[in-house]
Amino acid sequence: MKLMLKYIFSLTIVFFSLQAKAQDTIKKYPERYGLRVGVDLHRLAKSFYDDNYKGLEIEAAYRLTKKFYIAGEIGNEDKTVDDDRFNFTTKGTYFKAGFDFNSYENWLDMENMIHIGLRYGVSSFSQQLNSYKIYDPSNFYGENVIYPNEKFSGLNASWVEVVGGVKAKLFNNFYLGFSLRLNYLVSDKKPDNFDNLYIPGFNRTYDGKFGAGFNYTLSYFLPIYKKDKDKIKIEKATNND
Amino acid sequence: MKKYSLIALMVLFSVSFWNCEKDDLCAEATPTTPRVVIEFYDIANPTELKSVTDLFIKELNTNDTLVSNDALVENDINRYLFNVNKIYLPLRTDVVESKFNFILNKNAVNEQTDELTFTYTKKDIYISRACGYKTTFEITNPTTIIPSSSGNWIQSITVENTSIDNENETHVKIYF
Repeated sequence: MKLMLKYIFSLTIVFFSLQAKAQDTIKKYPERYGLRVGVDLHRLAKSFYDDNYKGLEIEAAYRLTKKFYIAGEIGNEDKTVDDDRFNFTTKGTYFKAGFDFNSYENWLDMENMIHIGLRYGVSSFSQQLNSYKIYDPSNFYGENVIYPNEKFSGLNASWVEVVGGVKAKLFNNFYLGFSLRLNYLVSDKKPDNFDNLYIPGFNRTYDGKFGAGFNYTLSYFLPIYKKDKDKIKIEKATNND
Repeated sequence: MKKYSLIALMVLFSVSFWNCEKDDLCAEATPTTPRVVIEFYDIANPTELKSVTDLFIKELNTNDTLVSNDALVENDINRYLFNVNKIYLPLRTDVVESKFNFILNKNAVNEQTDELTFTYTKKDIYISRACGYKTTFEITNPTTIIPSSSGNWIQSITVENTSIDNENETHVKIYF
């Protein structure tokens, strides 16, 4: 429920900033091409307020054509999960690569995005099992908590990620973005006699192969070259008439 | 195209909510830590099951008493008395020995006590996020559960299965 509110809040903010940017002047506005680099604000902020979490994600996207971007994320997470039956710490690094397709028709000098995309993610990590409880339904002797402090290293997983999100220009070359991710686990090297209940980059795992995530990015666009926009506009107009 | 991406976004959105559902409840049907399945037989007719009368079972190191009917209040003695031919005996998961007093005809004039000691090795096995771990046991003293060959009321004990990893089979038979 908390997570849901977070989603809605973020979406509202980004949509509002999208709308606020529409302006009217007669001028020639070239399309700018280049590299956008950003940081996930959610993971950054969580590292400060959540004692059980340290994480950072850097995202990058290169504008290849008018609508296609090559995009990727690289990140590192250190998360301790205190569940009903376990306490464990997952540490690892992940890398995601793929593309984004911008479906937002920008007017004039607007450079906003409503994008969908795909990623393939890989993660290399370790799991440290700090404690676990024995499930004894007879509950005859009370609960038995065991502290093995066992570390499982050399684990990895990979997954496919469907990304949907929005990006709005804040000022100059700065953008604020929000994206939702639906993950499908492709490979999962599990520890012996334990499970990957959390995978860096993938987030919490469920009984099935699906997972979900989101990020909230602040990014900077580094323009490299420009292309004229007007040509494309004229062609479109003749087609429609 | 814009419309399609909006629809795709909305689907993504709703699917991610779906994923927030809790899978934190351990289903009752999941096999978890097994108990020792003990059946009682008639010594005079070893193939016939025979019910015990007012059997009271207490673990000696923890002083915990096995409950036969948890619908009764805690100070009702009948809560702890077994009158059946099959019981499920939990072993301690924190140590490798569980010692029990099996008291027959509890609180009657012909009350009789036998001390049973189970020594075993144990292994913790991962089940799931919701259930955690279970412990399975391997009994290492199948012939000396009662130190002398026969007890006060128990005439003979046979261990049918030293591996306690489920509750679907009888592990121990007690003849009296």
